[in-house]
Amino acid sequence: MALWIQILPGSSEPIYVQVAEQISKAIARGELASGDKLPAVRKLAAELVINPNTVARAYSRLEQAGLVTTKTGSGTYVSDPKLRRHDAADINILTDRMDTLITRGLNLGLEEQDIIAMFKGRLAKFVNKKAERRKND
Amino acid sequence: MIETVLETEGLTKYYGSTLAVDHLDLKIPQGCICGFVGRNGAGKTTAIKLMLGLLRPTAGSSRLLGCDSQQLKPAIRQRIGYVTEGHRLFRWMSIAELEKFQRSFFPKQWDDKFFADMIEYFNLPRRRKIKHLSNGERAQVSLALALAPNPELLIMDDPTLGLDAAIRRQFLEGMIELIMRQGRTVLFSSHILGDVERVSDRIVVIDKGVLRANCSLEEFRAAVKKVILSFADSTPAEVDIDGLLHCRRSEKELELILVSTTDDHIGKWADRTGAERYHIVKMNLEDQFIEFTAPPGRKKLFRWEEI
Repeated sequence: MALWIQILPGSSEPIYVQVAEQISKAIARGELASGDKLPAVRKLAAELVINPNTVARAYSRLEQAGLVTTKTGSGTYVSDPKLRRHDAADINILTDRMDTLITRGLNLGLEEQDIIAMFKGRLAKFVNKKAERRKND
Repeated sequence: MIETVLETEGLTKYYGSTLAVDHLDLKIPQGCICGFVGRNGAGKTTAIKLMLGLLRPTAGSSRLLGCDSQQLKPAIRQRIGYVTEGHRLFRWMSIAELEKFQRSFFPKQWDDKFFADMIEYFNLPRRRKIKHLSNGERAQVSLALALAPNPELLIMDDPTLGLDAAIRRQFLEGMIELIMRQGRTVLFSSHILGDVERVSDRIVVIDKGVLRANCSLEEFRAAVKKVILSFADSTPAEVDIDGLLHCRRSEKELELILVSTTDDHIGKWADRTGAERYHIVKMNLEDQFIEFTAPPGRKKLFRWEEI
């Protein structure tokens, strides 16, 4: 799995954030499903040639977000989506981000239905991957 | 408790009247990869040589693995690896001879198989003399020699200087490989901040011989910030914000470089001074380093003037 994680040193985003963001994207797309095991910290560190503490920090960020759980002595697993929680603050952040996208879209001169169509198209890429993955299992 | 493997106290070195290292107080805990950074002439090489007891300090002291650097006994030296700047190896020896020579300093823990595997991986002929190797090949031999004794503390002085991307990556892999073993520590100096960011979990910054930072890499990343504030009429006469390092003014804008100032404090200060807008700019490590070590009042070398 390490193959699709890309490290960009020199970015304004710290490396642990880069790793966490790419794993959370893989979870959203269903490339990693509930119960899947993440690579051991040291294995991923060696493969990506980054400090093991950086990987551990990325994993703990994912854990704080409720996307993974760590079982002592066994490893880190993608958590069950049914058990994930969100609160009003999380929803606020999401609506803020959507507002930014809608602003950009409208300022580019796109119509309401164009934006909705684009949004549905992008969403389908995530949902279809999940369905595909379920079929293969 | 985490042990301190490297410690300096008031470590100072004058070359004649030139101050190279100025009262360095440094503690490096066991188990980290520490990137040692500073501009050219900042005193990194001198500091490293003082730590290893290769130079005598003018004042102060340093300790490696709990022993005074000036009196490192062979039993302690065996636990320390050192890679010199420029990978200076005996030119008349072959790789095999150099291995034999180096092994004699580390009789207990030299790993023959590890060394042989690395030389084979690098595809280097063991009977070739060092003087007939390219810079990159010499660096590879030097890396194998540094890792084969499985040192508890590995100190490398700008090991990737002038090396191509592939060989640089091999050095980074070597550091990660070593640090995975129980209780190993690496200190390496470098000007390539992308490499430092990639493998380090700790950063030490020195400037003009003075220690400027010694903290986790993440702390440094979070601490050094750039803020741009816009004002309707004119910028405030006094900039009394906490943690101010540099302040640049244009007619209606202030550009501040801040250290350890919270976003909350920045917001309140912006409100208090009546800024119309402010923006906290995300910097990468290289920008942070340049700003952090810039002399006060630094301007860009080239500027576009509006005519």
